[in-house]
Amino acid sequence: MVDISLLANPIYLAQNVVDGLARGAVYAVFALGFTLIFGVLDILNLAHASTYMWCAFVGWIAMSQLGLPLWAGLMAAMIAGGIIAVILEFVAFRPLRREGSERLAPMISSIGASIIMVSLAEAAFTVQTKRFPTGVLNPTPVLLGGTDGVRVSWAQLLIVAVSVLLMIALGYLIRSTRTGKAMRAVAYSQRAAQLLGIDINQVVLTTFWIGGMLAGAAGVLVGLLTSSIAPNIGSQIELRGLAVVILGGLGNIEGAVLGGFVLGLVETFTIAYLQQGGDYKDAVAFLILFLMLLVRPNGLLGRREANRA
Amino acid sequence: MPEPGGKQPRLSWRYVVYALLAVVLLVNAFLYVGNPSDLDRFLIDAMLGLSVFVTLDAGLLSLANAGFMAIGAYSSAILVVRAGFPLLPAVLGAMVICGIIGVAIGLPVLRLRDVYLAIATIGFGEIVRILIVTNPGLTGGATGANLSTGFQYDKMKQTQTWMLVLALAVLIYAFYWLAHSRTGRAFRAMRANPQAAETMGINVVSYRVLAFVLSAMIAGAAGSLYAHDIGSLDNNDFSFNRAVQILSYAVLGGSTHWFGSILGAGLLSGLPVFLREFVGGSIPLVANFAQLPNIISGLALMLVIIFLPAGLYAPGRRQTAAPVKTGEVEEGTVPEAPALELSAERRNGEAGQPHGPLLEMKDVRCVFGGVTALDGVDLAVKEGEIHGLIGPNGAGKTTLINLISGFCRPASGRIIFREADITHMPAYQIAQLGVARTYQNIRLFGEMTVLENVVVGRHAYIRTNLLTTWLRLPRERREERDAAESAMALLERLGLEGLAGVPARELSYGDQRRVEIARALASQPHLLLLDEPAAGLTNAEAAALAEFLLELKRRRYTILAIEHHMDLIMRVSDEIMVLNFGRAIAEGALSRVRQDPEVIEAYLGQE
Repeated sequence: MVDISLLANPIYLAQNVVDGLARGAVYAVFALGFTLIFGVLDILNLAHASTYMWCAFVGWIAMSQLGLPLWAGLMAAMIAGGIIAVILEFVAFRPLRREGSERLAPMISSIGASIIMVSLAEAAFTVQTKRFPTGVLNPTPVLLGGTDGVRVSWAQLLIVAVSVLLMIALGYLIRSTRTGKAMRAVAYSQRAAQLLGIDINQVVLTTFWIGGMLAGAAGVLVGLLTSSIAPNIGSQIELRGLAVVILGGLGNIEGAVLGGFVLGLVETFTIAYLQQGGDYKDAVAFLILFLMLLVRPNGLLGRREANRA
Repeated sequence: MPEPGGKQPRLSWRYVVYALLAVVLLVNAFLYVGNPSDLDRFLIDAMLGLSVFVTLDAGLLSLANAGFMAIGAYSSAILVVRAGFPLLPAVLGAMVICGIIGVAIGLPVLRLRDVYLAIATIGFGEIVRILIVTNPGLTGGATGANLSTGFQYDKMKQTQTWMLVLALAVLIYAFYWLAHSRTGRAFRAMRANPQAAETMGINVVSYRVLAFVLSAMIAGAAGSLYAHDIGSLDNNDFSFNRAVQILSYAVLGGSTHWFGSILGAGLLSGLPVFLREFVGGSIPLVANFAQLPNIISGLALMLVIIFLPAGLYAPGRRQTAAPVKTGEVEEGTVPEAPALELSAERRNGEAGQPHGPLLEMKDVRCVFGGVTALDGVDLAVKEGEIHGLIGPNGAGKTTLINLISGFCRPASGRIIFREADITHMPAYQIAQLGVARTYQNIRLFGEMTVLENVVVGRHAYIRTNLLTTWLRLPRERREERDAAESAMALLERLGLEGLAGVPARELSYGDQRRVEIARALASQPHLLLLDEPAAGLTNAEAAALAEFLLELKRRRYTILAIEHHMDLIMRVSDEIMVLNFGRAIAEGALSRVRQDPEVIEAYLGQE
């Protein structure tokens, strides 16, 4: 199965590490929003991937149709993500936050919302693949170690830079700001937080806003990386996002970052070193997901109790 | 899915919805007759809906059904095309394969908490699909259409509509009787409250696996029939979207009754047909808007989960027209009570016969995090006595009962019940040995009727299984009848017979307490554990309860009761233990404990 001759090639190895990190960075940004909403609100938001998909299209409209520069496209997509997530909170989740609601009702409601969002995107954009205009980024890759060396595209550099920036910003927000403290309090116990005078609805809205912005950023970044934007890109990343958050520990911020990079690297290496690796790449994510759930359901860095008491 | 909770707001919606449903179903039926392939699709969708219903019924949210559908489709296609099997053996073979894989997957996965279970089953479905794509030699690759693999239409197409009708009819028969069986009750009890179900002697993990395997086999059969109906194979037919679609049949139609998933399948699979045949012709926008059915079904899913969480068809969830009559225990008119007679098997040792204590706890310590809830407690409960357990809040009383019933485990020490070491025994086995309990915060199976709740108490006695249920063996009828009769007799004794058909959640607090006691007594326990049975009762009700407990003692029941109601505990107890900060500060005969200065200071002195 493994191609032996490739193993000995250090340039090839380095190239795959670079590619894997870029891929993993996108997964990490996507999974951050996913895991943040779960960690704070105990909701598995299965419309997160559809938010991400719509944001990729918003970025596409901004850059391809309106001719805006990349930074403006990214901002537009992030704001759109925030707005979509807040709308989801109002229509799909808030009505279910009441006494006696089923625990998994929000998840089912988000599935319904997701179906609607994907269908609307298919109606609006058709299933044909779109791409960002080539002019938004310098297309010449940076070469490390001469012409036969490692090729790093500007898109890859930008993806890693933006994602690291977002992770640092999110970490700072949660650890060191008043908003972050309120979010952590709500994550610990909504009741207790309410008794302490924290406005739960406010915290929930903030959480969705941030989660949506992260989905928006991920949407544009993946558009840069893969040059393919279509209504089905949500379902492509959704299940990987689940694998990433389970790998890191559902609800765990650092875990999502770690999980994202691990999955990105493992997938890239599967493609690079296994025959038929392209086919097995997807299997890897779900094998990781499945094995983690069986062996260590709380994730690599998890703290929550996943097993039944 | 856990218990469908909460009150249903806007009940008037229901009638509008029913009227609409009737119209749509009639139209659908009309359309189906006109187009057999639409009818075939509906019949298969209904089977898929049932496959997800059985997991929801047992309180599980599984999205594995599309995966099992795929396994069923491919394995029976291989059996038919490669091995030359006729259709029926191939379908049965596919079901067996799905059942085996269901056990293998279910055993590890079903121990996970709800969200994790959902995610694990999503992962399972995708793995199945990837295995199909990556093994073209076996499966014909992504679309199975590879001619060299031989899955051509003329070999694959095997079904006629009547076969699908027959298959669905068999399933409806199976589900109808399942709902009225010991297994069906165990499923619903688990969904309502897995912990309480466990302490009624239900082995929750193995019933979960059973539900999962049934679901896998039904999905496998449906997948197999689907492949032989459309006459081709395509892995995209078994994607995550399919899993979501199947789930929405049951959620939309109603997840508390098997008919709901058939209704949901009819509505959702009929919707595109309806739009195409009727609306599409006259409104071009609809005809050109391919996504409309999906948008409508997504919207329907959201609206239903928000406004009608139990689904469109949810019998027994309608508000009862008349207010529920409260049962009364009239003092002085206690009828003769054969209902309370302990069976010979369960009767505790005859008087005069020497024997040790029924229950013994030796130096039991229990720690939660850093807090020591119980610290070296010794306890001996003698047969035929009522043992009172008192102490201030947080003293560890409920923890003690939780330890005996297997709810939690001691850090050290031993618990002996009828000479068996039950310290580490699973809760359902302890229940089967004859320990029954009630809860401080009542844990009835809210959606089930009062009678069903009490019949669940008979779980360990009824010796029926799915085979006797589906073959309608005489034993099934006899045992079901006996269980219902003895449960009814218990309800009569407790003055609750008027409430037998009412869902337990609609009862008043006091009535719920009594139903919980009836449920515990239905198991004919050697040892009855009562956690604050008089909490929230009026003085008259508490006095009646005291009389009742004394009657149980005369009938040689053994009881360990936590109670704050001092008059009650002083009146009924033979012995008392006083707990304070996890330690027994006094124990022994009532008269002695009453005089103990430490007890008076810690507890009785307050009065």
